[in-house]
Amino acid sequence: MSNVRRVYVEKKPAYAVHAKELLADIRGYLGIKTVDDVRVLVRYDVENISDETYKKALKTVFSEPPVDDIYEEEFSYDEADTVFSVEYLPGQFDQRADSAEQCVKLLNENEEPVIRTATTYVIKGELSEEDKKAITEHCINPVDSRETGFNKPETLVQTFDEPDDVKIFDGFKDMEEAPLKELYDSLDLAMTFKDFLHIQNYYKNEENRDPSMTEIRVFDTYWSDHCRHTTFSTELKNVEFEDGFYQKPIKDTYDKYLETFDELYNGRDDKFVCLMDIALLAMKKLKKEGKLADQEESDEINACSIVVPVEIDGKTEEWLVSFKNETHNHPTEIEPFGGAATCLGGAIRDPLSGRSYVYQAMRVTGAADPTAHIKDTMPGKLPQRKIVTESAHGYSSYGNQIGLATGLVDEVYHPNYVAKRLEIGAVMGAAPRRAVKRLNSDPGDIIVLLGGRTGRDGCGGATGSSKAHTTESLDTCGAEVQKGNAPTERKLQRLFRREEVSALIKKCNDFGAGGVSVAIGELADGLQIDLDKVPKKYAGLDGTELAISESQERMAVVLDPKDVDQFMKYAEEENLEATKVAVVTEEPRLVISWRGKEVVNVSRAFLDTNGAHQENDV
Amino acid sequence: MNVCSKKGLVERFDGSIGAGSVVMPFGGTYQLSPVQTMIAKLPVLKGDTDTITMMSYGYDPYLTSWSPYHGAIYAVIHSVAKIVASGGDYKKIRFTFQEYFKRLGTDKYRWGEPFTALLGAFDAQLGFGLPSIGGKDSMSGTFNDIDVPPTLVSFAVDVAHEKDVVTPDLKVDGNKLILFSVPRDEYELLDYDALMAMYDKVNAIIKTGKVGASYAIGFGGIIEAVSKMAFGNKKGVKVEDDLTIDELTAKNYGAILLSVRPEILDQFDGYKLVGTVDDSAVINYKDMALPIDEAIASWTGKLEKVYPTRSEVDESEVREDLYDAKDIYINKHKVAVPKVFIPVFPGTNCEYDTAKAFSLAGAEPVVKVFKNLSAEGIRDSVDTFVKCINDAQMIMFPGGFSAGDEPEGSAKFFATAFRNAKIKESVMQLLNERDGLMLGICNGFQALIKLGLVPYGEIKTQSDDSPTLTYNSIGRHQSKMIYNKVVSNKSPWLRLATLGGTYTIPASHGEGRFVASKEWIDKLYANGQVATVYATPDGHPTMDEDYNINGSYGAIEGILSPDGRVLGKMAHVERIGRSVAVNVVGEQDMKIFESGVSYFK
Repeated sequence: MSNVRRVYVEKKPAYAVHAKELLADIRGYLGIKTVDDVRVLVRYDVENISDETYKKALKTVFSEPPVDDIYEEEFSYDEADTVFSVEYLPGQFDQRADSAEQCVKLLNENEEPVIRTATTYVIKGELSEEDKKAITEHCINPVDSRETGFNKPETLVQTFDEPDDVKIFDGFKDMEEAPLKELYDSLDLAMTFKDFLHIQNYYKNEENRDPSMTEIRVFDTYWSDHCRHTTFSTELKNVEFEDGFYQKPIKDTYDKYLETFDELYNGRDDKFVCLMDIALLAMKKLKKEGKLADQEESDEINACSIVVPVEIDGKTEEWLVSFKNETHNHPTEIEPFGGAATCLGGAIRDPLSGRSYVYQAMRVTGAADPTAHIKDTMPGKLPQRKIVTESAHGYSSYGNQIGLATGLVDEVYHPNYVAKRLEIGAVMGAAPRRAVKRLNSDPGDIIVLLGGRTGRDGCGGATGSSKAHTTESLDTCGAEVQKGNAPTERKLQRLFRREEVSALIKKCNDFGAGGVSVAIGELADGLQIDLDKVPKKYAGLDGTELAISESQERMAVVLDPKDVDQFMKYAEEENLEATKVAVVTEEPRLVISWRGKEVVNVSRAFLDTNGAHQENDV
Repeated sequence: MNVCSKKGLVERFDGSIGAGSVVMPFGGTYQLSPVQTMIAKLPVLKGDTDTITMMSYGYDPYLTSWSPYHGAIYAVIHSVAKIVASGGDYKKIRFTFQEYFKRLGTDKYRWGEPFTALLGAFDAQLGFGLPSIGGKDSMSGTFNDIDVPPTLVSFAVDVAHEKDVVTPDLKVDGNKLILFSVPRDEYELLDYDALMAMYDKVNAIIKTGKVGASYAIGFGGIIEAVSKMAFGNKKGVKVEDDLTIDELTAKNYGAILLSVRPEILDQFDGYKLVGTVDDSAVINYKDMALPIDEAIASWTGKLEKVYPTRSEVDESEVREDLYDAKDIYINKHKVAVPKVFIPVFPGTNCEYDTAKAFSLAGAEPVVKVFKNLSAEGIRDSVDTFVKCINDAQMIMFPGGFSAGDEPEGSAKFFATAFRNAKIKESVMQLLNERDGLMLGICNGFQALIKLGLVPYGEIKTQSDDSPTLTYNSIGRHQSKMIYNKVVSNKSPWLRLATLGGTYTIPASHGEGRFVASKEWIDKLYANGQVATVYATPDGHPTMDEDYNINGSYGAIEGILSPDGRVLGKMAHVERIGRSVAVNVVGEQDMKIFESGVSYFK
């Protein structure tokens, strides 16, 4: 017999806002007029819970008597109704289940309940097979959820196989080009084949050994477009302008750019024309002319930051004002709620890792016509209406939960955004300058990991958005979208806002793109990282996954060894998990160990080459 | 579609938390004039500041599709114009750009788009002498054979003083609308020096304090600007007849429209007279007379199906009772500086604002985070909470989303923690033996009502007929200013508020709909337990969703325990301050915190 208890909770008709909305959507938007009514029930599967706690939880955690009806094990419906249930894919963060577990623990702190949730839909009315399909498609985004049956699982407790050791690519360093290309293709990497050859060269000539899977993935993450802007750093050659009336001002500007280029770089041979340089050169010129005196100079790259005199109760203090914009176009296109939520989470993270308190956000998005008929949706795409409304829900729920004023929201419409959505979050942050240290890491310094735990959902985000996308994207990208966890990022904000805490941090990095390998890897030239200490959401993650999994709500801070205990105490006060995971070392190598074995051991110098040089004509 | 109302989208986002938003996203009494620049006070933890930051954006996909070079230049210019129109000094602006282009491959024509766009941005930075110090790029905007429009969004950031701020909503009848612009050259470009001279002039006019409203001309030209400026307070405008339709609709990026007192017109030159503000609620141009309500209906209708602003609420009339209490609870335990305990749960987010409000009112806030990472942490926290409650005179439940308002229902985590036997005992002791007070706002109100503290005055399990708070009738979060009327004085928390007075207070929540049976509502009114209601701007309790934003039964917004010492309300009375929400006028201070503190003195 199953140990799992099942509970269905349904809003009473007067308060069933969600069911009412869905009914309106099905009748209006999907155009299925034969539907008479819709019921929406939340389903909880619960295990590892005592009778007493379960009984209490029924009327306090799972339901609220004035607005909910509750059914244990099963509920009744008519034979003719269409009934289906939807659950998250395994590994997706489910805030409902997570909060339910936490609430049950409050009823009795010794309980270790396991809870899974699903949503059950009951559709009343005559439906053709085609109608049923349209409705289930409307309710399920295959990127993060799936349909689930009525059968109760035997148990919810998941067991995980002990992962295998990290694979070593035997024979890699001496491989011929053809088999090497084959290997390259099989790995589905974001880097170019040119980069791959660059790596082979390194292992052959410098390391004289074969690389591990973890090392290849770390390079791929470190060098992916997302982190190092491959396109923007590609050298531009043979620049030509097409004839036309408006050619003149553009060409004049290009000449002015070249003139400035010569003036500033004065014959340096390490500089070349690329998009990145065009983007930065005006700033460099103005800075040289003294028109950027307020910029905060620092080795840490967290967000743009300027120094501002602030009047507080008539007294002037120096503050740092920082701002940052971030897009999550690809994730929002395929999973609008999570993509947009983590867009904001990502934008906040940068100033936050710079110890700024983020206090305001702007959201600017681009979409094709959201009033278009669902039948005109392109194959392989979500309808625009679904994208715009669910992304608005995602971004707003993250911002509202973290407690950030969203001061301006706008959406721009252009038919070509049907190719891919534009989802920008821009934030403002600030902190008193005295509270922010910008120091270098010294050998012996300790690196502490703060915040959320590592799961499989964060693998491959940085490389995913840099790949080319076609009609299949929607089905295969599941592992590349994450759900945000605003309450955890909020805890980080509270912690860093305390001046006594912020003053202990020498340097900080977030886990946005690239996970442990990049976030910690960037903090010092020489590092010894122990993956066994990294807190995990569940067992079964292998060394590579632990090294590259991103997270929205994690930070790594560099601390002087004497400050570590005090820092851990502060973190505990703010209800945050903090773990020592790495030590700064003298030798400039990135060393990562897992289960006692080194899975990465590469030189800083090679990592910093950022891959092979790329060129293109314009 | 690029100029239509996105109110149903915008109001999903909390615009007021932090008590630092100088402007709300929509200005005017009717909150229908969208702002172009977001403005906030610096988030100082202690004390008050008059330093503010501004951020605006500029971008037009149609222009960048025609010429990425021009599009980038005008994106920068438009972002600057918005800052200037809002009262900022352009000379201190810093930019950050967002680039988003199609996948480039190796085709050199495809590379031309970002190349020329960046050259445009380069030109504009040097032209203004203002640098971009940040930016992000994404080059993945291709799906099969469709490419996104060349996208370069310019974000402009400025630091300014709170008294410089001007907003778009027209306020003053008789004001003149005047347009400042710079002519385009043969290449459809603007001369930066002329533009900067014009912005200096606009800045000087704003500094006279005689500018009532302003707008940086955008996608929809003067027509868009005048309409959006007029909507907020439902003003009328007589548009000058000598303007042509082309002039009225031109996408004149860089130009700025000001509403100024007529007496300063002759102090400046170089502008074009566009119209005059009046109280007719009609936009007049030549022989066309467009009632403002008609214009608003068409402006808001376009996206109503995608981003609804209304659901089907029964708009029956509601009672207008006021309860003037004969006897208000008197405190026998006086203290000089009362302590208020403010618990913080995962997802709580209003504790900073609330603690500050209590400090300013003369109380000592004690803020503690509930730790739930381990069984030991929970036991510790329970002990800490008990100790803090025993040591305090007041308990304040702050707003937020405890545990993300999951599992399906707000404040469950919050309420569950306070059901703990030890904590419950301390709470009841505070109320029953020490004359203590409790206050809950937003998520805190939800916690109070789910615990039974309102309306019952004690912690108990809710029954089937208990009054409660549930999802807004519109099914999403609502953030805007509400008109909040005080209809009872039977509470120490309301002793300094005006009975029958209407206050303008930020509300921001997804589950604020008060629901109860008719019997319960009658009983609450009879006993003076209905504290505050949702009202129209002129103070009538209402079911109109523009004002009763969640469809609360009887328009009830806040309720009391039977003796009035526990108050729960949805709207955020703590989010106030000098120069907060300046574009929605009205008395903001209900003096709840001061009232609570004075009860102990």
